[in-house]
This record gives sequence, structure tokens and C-alpha cells, in this order.
Amino acid sequence: MNYDARRLGLYGVLGALVVFYLVPLEIGLVTSLKANPLATLPFAPPTPEGFTLSEWTRAFGALQSGLVNSLLLAVPATIFSALLGSMAAYGLTSLDWRGQVGLFTLFLAGIFIPYQAVLLPVSRFWAVYAPLEEWLSVLWLLPVLEEYHGELLTLVITHVAYGIPICTLLFRSYYKELSTEMVEAAKLDGATAYTIYRRVILPLSVPMFAVTLIYQFTQVWNDLLFALIIMGPGEGAPVTVGLTNLGSSLSDPGFAVKMAGAFIAALPTMIVYVVFGEQFAEGVAT
Amino acid sequence: MFDRIHDAVGTGKGDDEQRVDARTDGGTATVSDEDDGGFFDSVSRDFLGSLPFWLPPFVLMGFFVYGAIGWNFALSLVNVQQFNDPNYAQLDFEQYARAFGDPTFIQAAQNTAVLLVAFTLACLVAGLLVAILIDRHIRFENTFRTVYLLPFSLSFVVTAQFWLWLYNYQSGLVNVVTQAVGLGRYQWISNPQLALGAVVFALIWQFSGYAMVVYLAGLRAIPDEHYEAARVDGASTLKMYWRVIVPQLKGATISASVVLMVFALKAFDFLYALAGSYFPPNGTDILATMMVRQAFSAGQRSYAAAIGIMLFLLALAVIAPYLTYQYRRGEL
Amino acid sequence: MAELVLDGVTKYFDDDGDRIVAVDDASIDIEDGEFLVLVGPSGCGKSTTLRMIAGLETVSEGELRLNDTVINDRAPAERDVAMVFQSYALYPHMTVRENMAFGLEESTEMDDDDIDERVSETAAMMGIEDLLDRKPRELSGGQQQRVALGRAIVRDPEVFLMDEPLSNLDAKLRSTMRTELQRLQEDLGVTTVYVTHDQTEAMTMGDRIAILNDGRLQQVATPLDAYHEPANEFVAGFLGEPSMNFFDASVEDGSLVTDQFTYPLSEGTLADLDGASEARLGVRPEDIELVEEPVDEHDYAVTVDVVEPLGDENNVYLEFDADGDDGDGRTFTAVVDGTHPVAAGDELGARIPESAIHVFDADTGVALHNRDRDSDEQVVPQ
Repeated sequence: MNYDARRLGLYGVLGALVVFYLVPLEIGLVTSLKANPLATLPFAPPTPEGFTLSEWTRAFGALQSGLVNSLLLAVPATIFSALLGSMAAYGLTSLDWRGQVGLFTLFLAGIFIPYQAVLLPVSRFWAVYAPLEEWLSVLWLLPVLEEYHGELLTLVITHVAYGIPICTLLFRSYYKELSTEMVEAAKLDGATAYTIYRRVILPLSVPMFAVTLIYQFTQVWNDLLFALIIMGPGEGAPVTVGLTNLGSSLSDPGFAVKMAGAFIAALPTMIVYVVFGEQFAEGVAT
Repeated sequence: MFDRIHDAVGTGKGDDEQRVDARTDGGTATVSDEDDGGFFDSVSRDFLGSLPFWLPPFVLMGFFVYGAIGWNFALSLVNVQQFNDPNYAQLDFEQYARAFGDPTFIQAAQNTAVLLVAFTLACLVAGLLVAILIDRHIRFENTFRTVYLLPFSLSFVVTAQFWLWLYNYQSGLVNVVTQAVGLGRYQWISNPQLALGAVVFALIWQFSGYAMVVYLAGLRAIPDEHYEAARVDGASTLKMYWRVIVPQLKGATISASVVLMVFALKAFDFLYALAGSYFPPNGTDILATMMVRQAFSAGQRSYAAAIGIMLFLLALAVIAPYLTYQYRRGEL
Repeated sequence: MAELVLDGVTKYFDDDGDRIVAVDDASIDIEDGEFLVLVGPSGCGKSTTLRMIAGLETVSEGELRLNDTVINDRAPAERDVAMVFQSYALYPHMTVRENMAFGLEESTEMDDDDIDERVSETAAMMGIEDLLDRKPRELSGGQQQRVALGRAIVRDPEVFLMDEPLSNLDAKLRSTMRTELQRLQEDLGVTTVYVTHDQTEAMTMGDRIAILNDGRLQQVATPLDAYHEPANEFVAGFLGEPSMNFFDASVEDGSLVTDQFTYPLSEGTLADLDGASEARLGVRPEDIELVEEPVDEHDYAVTVDVVEPLGDENNVYLEFDADGDDGDGRTFTAVVDGTHPVAAGDELGARIPESAIHVFDADTGVALHNRDRDSDEQVVPQ
């Protein structure tokens, strides 16, 4: 009997925690559907009269292009940083030579860098020394491409560069677990470093790619700082920037539209997270 | 040799002749008569082979990380007015001196420290407690874990929107609750005394799930026998956790702390989104927000560069011991 | 033709200023088609030696020659050697067929059909043709081992290298595979270097065995030569199970005097000792005969301490009566026929024939005198 009471208590606490973690989201959701959020209790669902989808439409209209931009940003950035991370980890782990650990430490340190410490040089670099949107101006004559895509490209490259350290870490811990004898066997079989990567290591990396892609996608999609500084508000802005500007005026804080916007912006990463939760947790725990 | 294999296997498949022919030109591995690059030993061979793999990422990352920091340091030594056309002959630490005399900077530094410590500790404690609860062989474990980690998958910007609403003076949930229990309503964001705490609480909401995951992995790594032995030795549950389990989570604690502290240093995204501008709510200005403001709103770029460097040193102070610790343990 | 020569091969590691010598000046001439076993306790340098031959470790000093060509600086892929690893090291994401074809694809110019044919033939020879489309994780340990072997064989190399390939198998499978490996090697006639820590494998499989200890080569000889004429105490103690009995002795008046007994020596044996004053006497358990009572000059009164019946044999642990109550209770071992009834507490005589004794230098352990090989008794190594 005592045991059951304890178990019940345990589930009670866990349930309370669920409420704690989900309440803001629940509130956000119901608020986004209310015509007048200030009129009702925050966590109460909207009354039939007060129910509206207009905030969602409004938010979606405002964030539409941002969503596309975020996608254009996050997908290539994720893929390339994962790929480069895998390559770097391979070169530093699966083959054998002196000084690997030291070099890896340099990669590792890059994970922890506060972006404010590099923000000015990076923004200056892209603005002054490598204005890709000017260099590639030829491309903008094509129908689909716009100049801001050039700026997005700079953002992609930036995120790839800063994503390499964590991807390298993830892959390295994975590659360390692979059998060294297997790599030696491949060497004896006549494989070059490139062939070993292509035919042995890469195919075996698929599980880790899943983890890395998911983790990196989340990081890049959710970033505000670089998006704000390198791209700024405007046509090419990713959705995070758009969201900060949504519905803020002194007279009407526009919480409903803000909530709707928040959900729209968060939906991709939330979906990725819920569907691929295992891999996400694995990446986080490394 | 393959003639022998052939004999050993026995054909019975007809057409011996052809088979013999086919095999004799199969060829063995080409054994060259000269050594290829005789002075390379196999270690160097591995090194060369690995270069095209790690060098490009290293160069890219190296430029954006180490190159950028170096450049930033140079910028911090330059006069503010000359930022766009720096006179590198006239370098000084003026901006650093300025920082230490600037009350805004001092305040921001203090806030950063408070955020760092309070946020990290609270996340660790909360994460540990939740992890311990989850570790107790409960059903629907995956569901609970997914829910608790969900906030971590959200952008700072998104969570800022939610908490902006939650902290709303008139109708936000927090005030609704405090009013209901008789504590009255508070200006969570506008009141400088409360703002930082409110921010820290929101961040804990977002990140304690991360600490939980790390601790859960750490707990899972402890063999069941430890729990059983402690129980047999007559330890109460509390004692058992405190004296047997928690000490073994040292590694998890350290790695989680480091990551959390680095996130705390990055909290710019949250504060900017909360305020919608470069001016975070009063009392919540941290070094990160100050840096960005000085750079892109106040036009004090070299000052901002100096702040950035100091932020970097702060981060270094956190990770350098960590990296040394990991290196010594051979975990790298 | 594949003659492999190790000429003064040395390997050291420099670690933080300390130099660790893993292999010290090893020289072995391996003939074409020979099955050479490198054997020794853990850490003796046998695996390092094998890996140097493979090219997975560099040679610090000395030369490795394959058919008179120095191969020290050749990449592993260019030495035309194939290796079977202890863990098999199969590619987990490839089928058996792909595993076996990999080496041919990467190191030869053969076209796909030829490769396919070779793989099928080798698979048939190894008895794994039914497994060609499976992945390694679907196979048992024994099957994986065959695939690993097949992968090596299919490359038709000059030399086979095997690093304790049987140690991950259970005992029954191990002895079956031992026989099969031997047969295979004989059929294929490829020069093979085989590493093991198990002296039984070494004795039964090798044309010759090379015993290593602490990085140094102790002896290179045929199994029987090494067994009956060990070069030193280490080899004598390493080969044979149960291992040889050793007694510290001083040489006095033409006899070996130990704590427990005095052993008179004949002139010939004494001459071999070359005036040494301290020595160690060695005698193998199977050479000790148990008699009712000590009668001859090399019979000693003993009491049986423990008997381990093995069926065909008994391992008998004996104590010298001369030890008395103040003795240290040291036992030595004799192996007798299983049908010979012996019980703990029996008081018997142990006969140690002079034809069977070995005498070793007390300091260096070098063998001064080994047993007679022409004795009447047919000794079968255990």
C-alpha cells in the first residue's frame, strides 16, 4: 500500500512537471486563437465567440518569406556542417598520426565560443571584404534568385563554419567506437584514405548523420544573432528575425499574433524534435 | 595458389580448361619494385591521407573562430572614431580602461555573473531531480522525457514570446496565479529588481530539460548493483543518492555545467526578443546585449569589440579548466 | 615463392622521454610455404612483430625482406600480405560477398566477373557459399571467422598473417578450426605467420615455432625440438602443460643439491655444466615415474598431496618426504597413466631418470644440458 502511494506520488510529481513544461505552450496556443486575449484567463481556451483564426493568418502572412528563408538557410548549412564535421572527425580519428588530439582540441574549443566575440569581424568581413551578393550579382538576373539570396549564402557559410566544431565532436565520439582493426583490414586490402572513408566509414556513419543533422538543423533554425546582424530585417530575413518584429506596438501588444507567430516559427523544429526525439536526445547527451 | 584451390574445391562444373585460363590472368596485387616515396613511413602516410579530410574544415573553422577573435582583439585596440579606417599604428587598451570605469559595463558584468551562476545551478539541480524521478522505472518514460526536453528545441525568440505573455502585468499567467494566492501582481519585466530573476526562471524552463538528459545518461551508466549494495547496507533513499550516486555524476555535472554556462553567455537572443530591440529590460542587461548594442546601435564599435573580447575571456575561464580536465582523463 | 626474412627487426616507442622496446632484435628466416607460429605470453611483442610485417607498425631498426626485397617502407597494401584479425574486422555494412571482394576491388585491376568467380570459389572452399549474401551480424562466431579467412585467401597473397584468430571461439570450435586451418595451409602452401599465446596451438600447428618473451626472441625451432631441447628456462617452462618442474640447486661433489633432495649426476651431464656452481634442475611431469618405494639412486620418497584425474592421465601433486614438517610444502607435478591408481596421502617413490632431466644456468636461464632424445620412452608432448 505504501508502495502504491509512493508510485502515485511519483506520477503526480511527474505530471505536475508536464504541466510546468507544457503550460507556456498551451497558453500560447489558446491565446493565438483568441480575438481578445486580455479578456479571458490565459490558459482558458477561447470561447466560441472569441475564437478566431485571423491572428494565425496575419502571422503567417508576415512570416511566410521568413520561413522560406530559414529553410534555405538551415538545410544547406546543416548538411554541409555535418559533412565537414564527419570529414574532420575521420581525419582526426580513424587514421592514425601524431598531434591528432591537439588539433581536435582546437576544434573542440570552437564549440564554446561566444558569438559576440567574433560578431564584428564576421559582419565586417561579409560587408566589406566578401560581399557575395555583389560578386554573384550576375545570378540575380535569373528569375528566381534575388540579391538577398547572396546574403543568405553568407549566413549559410557562417553557420557552417561555426557548426563544424560540434559536428566534429559528435562524429569523433562515434568514430572512436568503430573498430580500428576494421580500418587496418581495409588498409591491407589496398584501400586509400579516401576509399576507406567512402566505402567503409561513411556508410557506417548514417546513424550519426541522423543525430547531427537533427541537432544542427535545430541550432541553425533557432539562431537569432547572426540572422539579425548579418542579414537584418528585410526580405531575406530568416523567421527568427521576423518574429521579433511581429505585432509589437505600444497600444496593442498583439499577444495573439505573437503567439501564433511563435508557433509558426517553432513548428519545424518542434516537429523534427518530436519525430526524431531519440536522435535529438542522443546528440544532446554527447 | 588458385590452381590448388581449384583442386581442393573440385570442379564438377565442367569446363576446367576455361576456368584455368580465366584465373591465370586474374592477377595478384601489383607489387611495385621501387619503394614509393621511401622516406615516408606509414605514420606519415596516414597523416598525408588524412589531410584533405580535416584541413578544409579546419581552415574554415579556424578563420571564423581563431582568425575572427584575433581580428576582434585588434579592433578593440583601435580608436572608436577610426573604426572604419583603422589606424593600426595607434593601438591602445583605451576601450578596456573605459569598460572598467563604465557603470553600465559593471552592471552588465554583474548581471552576467548572476545569470551564469544562478541559471546553471538551478538547471543542474532541477535537471538532476527530474532525472532521478524518471530513472525510477516508470512507464511512459519516453513521453515524459520528450515533454521535458521540448522547450530545448525551441528558439530563444519563440520562448521569449511565450514568456512575454506569461509575465504580462495585466493578464499574464504568472500574475494570475500570484493574485490567486494572494501575493498580488508584479511587474516582472519592467521592475529592474525582478527582471533578471524572471529571465533566469524562463531560461531554466527552457534548459533544465537538457540537464535532465545529461544526468539521465549519467544515471544509466551507474550499474544497478550500486543501488542494491547501498540498499543492502541499510542506507535510506536520500542518503543513498547523496553519498553514492551523486558523486558518481561528477562527469555529467561538469559537462552539463560547461554547456549551460556557455548558453547563458549567449542569452542575447532571448533578451533581444523580449525587448524587441537592442535595449533589454532594465536590470537585465548582460555583456552580450551590451556588446551588440554598443556595436550596432551606439556606434561604439571598438568598445563593443573590447566587450566581446572580455566575454571571450570569461568563456575561456569556464572551458579551459574543462578541456584540461577532459584531456587529463583521456576523454579527448 | 615467398621467403620472409626478419633481420634484426626492432621496434621501440618513445613515450614522454622513455623508450619502450617492444621487439628487440628479432631475426627469423621464414621459408616459402612455412607455417611459422609466433608464441609467447601477453605483451611479449608477438603481435607487434606481426603488425610490422603487415606494415601497420613501422620498423624502428632492422630490415624486413620479402623475397630479397626490403619492404620496410612499403605501404601495407603494397606488401601483398593478407591478415586475419583476432576480432575478424569484417565490414559490418557489407555482405559476405562484398567483404571478400573488397580487397580484390581495391588492390587489383581484375574485372568484376573475375572477382566474382574468385569469391565464389574461395567461399566454396571455406564452406560458406550459402552465406554470401548475408551480413556479418547474422553469422555465428565460427562463420565470421571463416569469412575473415576467406577474405584473406581470396587475395592470393604472398604471406598470410594471423593474429590469434581462434581466441574468440569456444574451446570445441577452436580445436576443430585448428585442424582445418592446418589442412588449409597445407593445401594452399602459402607462407603463414601465426600469432598465439596458446602453446597448444603453437605446438600442434607450426612447422616451426618462434617463442618470444619481453620482446626478445627466445628460440626458433620445430615444436618438438623446442619442447625437448629448449634453449632456455623460459621456453622450457612455457611449453608443456602441466609445465616443467624447476628446482634451484647448487652443484656439489658431482651432484645437484636442492632443498629437498640430492641428485647425483653422471660424468657426461656434469661436463655439460662446465663448472657452474649454481644451477636449476628441470624435469617434465610426464617423465617422472611413480614407484612403490624409492630404490634407485634417482628415486625419492614422496607423499601424494592432490590428484587431478583427467581420464587418460592423472596429474599428481607430490611433496618430498625429506621436506619434513618444517618444509615449505612445495609440491611438484607428475603425470601418470590414468589407470594407475593413486590417492592423496599415498606414500610412494618418485623416479626422476637422468635421461630426462634438463639443467639450466642459475643466472641466465640458458640451457646447459637437455634431455636425451634417444631414450626408450616415447614422450608425447602434452
